[in-house]
Order: sequence, then C-alpha cells, then structure tokens
Amino acid sequence: MRAEKITVQDVGKSYNTRHGPVMALDGITFSVAEGEFLCILGPSGCGKTTLLRILAGLEKEFSGWVEVRAAGSQKPINAMVFQENSVFPWMTVFDNVAYGLRMRRVPRELQRTVVQRYLELTGLAAFSRNYPHQLSGGMRQRVSVARAFANDPEILLLDEPFGALDEQNRLLLQQELLRIWELDRKTAVFITHSIDEAIGLGDRILVMTARPGRIKAILPIDLPRPRELVQIKGQPAFVALYQNIWKLLSEEVLRAREKEILPLALAEPGTKDDLYEKTISRG
Amino acid sequence: MLTEGRLSRIVSVLSPLFLLGLWETLARLNYLDVRLFSCPSRILGALFPLLWSGELLHHTLISLARIILGFFAGALPGVILGLSMGLFPMVRAMLEPMILATFPIPKLAIMPLILLVFGLGETSKVFTIAIGVFYLVLINTMTGVINIEPIYLDVAKNYWARRFDFYLTVAWPGALPMIFAGFRLGMGTALLLIVAAELSAARAGIGYMIWRAYDMFDIERMFVALMTMSLLGYVLAKGLDWLEARVIPWKQPSR
Repeated sequence: MRAEKITVQDVGKSYNTRHGPVMALDGITFSVAEGEFLCILGPSGCGKTTLLRILAGLEKEFSGWVEVRAAGSQKPINAMVFQENSVFPWMTVFDNVAYGLRMRRVPRELQRTVVQRYLELTGLAAFSRNYPHQLSGGMRQRVSVARAFANDPEILLLDEPFGALDEQNRLLLQQELLRIWELDRKTAVFITHSIDEAIGLGDRILVMTARPGRIKAILPIDLPRPRELVQIKGQPAFVALYQNIWKLLSEEVLRAREKEILPLALAEPGTKDDLYEKTISRG
Repeated sequence: MLTEGRLSRIVSVLSPLFLLGLWETLARLNYLDVRLFSCPSRILGALFPLLWSGELLHHTLISLARIILGFFAGALPGVILGLSMGLFPMVRAMLEPMILATFPIPKLAIMPLILLVFGLGETSKVFTIAIGVFYLVLINTMTGVINIEPIYLDVAKNYWARRFDFYLTVAWPGALPMIFAGFRLGMGTALLLIVAAELSAARAGIGYMIWRAYDMFDIERMFVALMTMSLLGYVLAKGLDWLEARVIPWKQPSR
C-alpha cells in the first residue's frame, strides 16, 4: 500500500442563486496515492471543475477537508493545466513555460535549464521564441502542460486540458502526456468527460453523479504501463471497462437531463407533466 | 493586367488629385471666390516661403512639443490609475464616481479656469491637453484590465504571483491593446485642444498661425497651417502605430 498523497474528506460546496442555495458538490471523500494518476469522470455540470479548483486552492469557500501531503521541500503544492487558452498571449512560449519558476524567483540559470528540458520533451524547442497566436491549439496546450511540469509541483491538476482539440491531436497529446508523466510519475488528478481518455490515462477512475456531484463509483484500471493508447483500445479489458462506465454515466446523463426541467417547474406554475410537453414541443 | 486591388489603389491616388484639379479650375473660372476658398496654386505659393524661412517649422515644433508634453503628462497618471482601478475594486469604488462625474465636462469649458489657475504661459496649454488625454487613457486602461479573461488571473494565482507581479505580468500586458486605443483617442483630443489652447495668449504654434491668419485675413497662410495640422495628425498616429507594433509583438495583425 502506497502512501496517500491527497486526502479529500466529505467535501461539499453550494452556491447561492436567486432560487436559493444550489448544491454543487456533496459528501466527496476519496484519496489519491503517491504517484497515482486519478481520472475524474462525470456529466457536464457535475461540479468536477469546482472540485479541482478546491484542490488547487483557487476555491476557498467549501465545507469538508482537503489535504495534500508535501514532501517538506520548497516545491509548490500544485500546478494546474487549465482548459484551453490559459497560456498568456503576451508572453513567448519560453516565458510562458518559465512563468511558475519566475514567480517563485528561481535563479535564472536554473529556469533556463528546466524550461529547455520541458520544451524539448513537449516538442516545443523550435518555438521557444514564438508567441501563442502563432501556434496551433494543440501546440498551445503543450505549452500549458510544459508550464505545469516545469514548475515541479507536489501534485499535477489537469482540467479537461485536451477537451477543445480535434481527435487526432487529442490522441497525440494524451500519448505525450503519458510519456512525460512516466518519467517521474507525479501524483496527478485529471478531469475529463471522455471515457476513452479516462481509461487510457488513469490508474483509477472516479465517476461522479449529476448535480449535486457525488461519487458514484471508483474503478481501478488494470492495464499495464507504459501504455500504447491506440493498442489498448482493442483489448477486452478496455472494452469491458468502457461498457461498465458508459452504463454508470448514461444513468447520470439521463438524470441530469430531467433535472434541467425541474428549475422551470419551480419558476412557473403548472405540473411537471405540462412542462414536459412544453419542453418537447419547443425542442 | 489590372487586378481589383491595384485598380482601387490607383483610384485612391487619382481621386484627391482630381478634386484638387477641380478646385483649381473652378477658382480660375471664377466659380469659387479665391478670397475665401483660395486655390491650390496660391496655397503652394504661400507654402514655399514659409518653408524656406523656417517659420512653419518653428510653429510646428512648438505645437509638437506642447502636444507631446501634454500627452505624457496626461497618459502616465491615466495608465497608473487605470491599472489600479481595474485591478482593485476598492480603488475603483473610491475614484469612479468622481471620474464619471467630471468626464463629460467639455475640456474647452474649463479652459478659462485653467488660464486663471496657471496663467497665460506654457503650463496652461500643456495642462489643457493633459487633462483631455488623461480621462480617455484612464477609462480605456481600466476597461482593458477589467476585460482581461479571468482565467489569466487564476493562472497567476495558481503559479504564486505576488501583487506586483499581477501589475507587471497580467494587468499591464493584458490591457495594452486597450491602452493603445486610449492613446489614439487621446492623441485626437490633443490635436483638437492644441488649436484651442493656442487661441489664447500664444506667441507661436500652428493654432496661433491659424488665428493670426484669421486676423490678417490671410487665407493661404491659414490653409498651409491646416495642411500642417493634418500632416501632424497623420505622423503622430503613425508614430503610435509604430510604437504599438514594438510594444505589443503578440498582437495579431488585423489590418
């Protein structure tokens, strides 16, 4: 049994809206082992990004308890790879990747060495002096990944980093991410709504329910590493997992769809059945 | 072969030339009163002596100095306050009511007050321009900072940026395109205000030239001064374009 790196205990989060408080997360409890790659999978709007922002320390108001065990070094606790377009358009590729190191006032020589290493690992070395608008979407996300890795954090947090990319690029970047991650196997939490992606990358998958986000299941993935993403897709273990997860998720997606009608029922007089008709005739 | 692009370039060169020719012809045929509207040949005749004697250059440089001085005196506090108001809601809450209340006052309307306070010297002229530039740069800078995608602030926070880093690595570069839009507007206002400022108690400057020509009923001289204003405006706008391309190398060429 490996040591626990991240412990999340009974975390909840609610927002105040005009119709009263809305629960976004409820009773989230799990832990991530040192060196583990955890994927969080859930229908859209289930609060998975909120959960990651809580882990990142960007969301300060929540109930429950979150702990990240630091190795007691000068390392930053976490580094986040955001959804698309979080790369600063006003900095060159080099300056973007160096950002975390610069903010921590790491000596310039060391910055250069570290940045150079990750530029090479992500295939960006030739573009270090370019600005993001000169790069494709896939290349920009490589910058974002390199920026997080270069900062050498205790844990890596990835918020659907490849969600906006086309399929070929997504596959390429997933494979590259795995290759870089294999080098030092940093504890990672990866959010996605793609079942393929979750199985391909993760050691375990945490499936979430529709709002309020709760944990529906935690599934181990017993596929050997290092993985070739294209090859594992045909394996029986992959197919079985895929079908299992799809069953879990489709229940939630259907439930979420019903929920979308409910707030209307609260706002307008009339029975739920009336509203079904309205929704259908509108759609 | 004439492509559409080349044709349109030829047209845009020819059409002003045609208008100038028409102007000259109408004046020669006495359809236009040359005492009021002059004509291109007479204006050229007035231009050359003014050029050779250095008089035109003298007036131009004096106006240019006032514009540039006033521009910096207005733009610098405009940028600094605008960044702070954009970054910190408390600063904004404190200053915004005053800014919004005084912004609509036409700058020309406070010129008499400025003259009373600063006297008839250079300071009042520079100050008039500065105050016109200040508001436009301030409001544009603030809007620029407020409109920065929140995700960039999240990134800065996540990567341990300190307060000073927020100014330098997010607010300033993120708002720069808007700041330059403010500079452009400010420059337009500066050209407008310089003429008004040089109306009162000036001894030199393009605006002074215009008013002096009015007193002397020297239409040709007036047209030369107007042409100089137009050229000055063009050169200053191009200067800002040049500076922007240097300072914002990440801006995607849109024109």
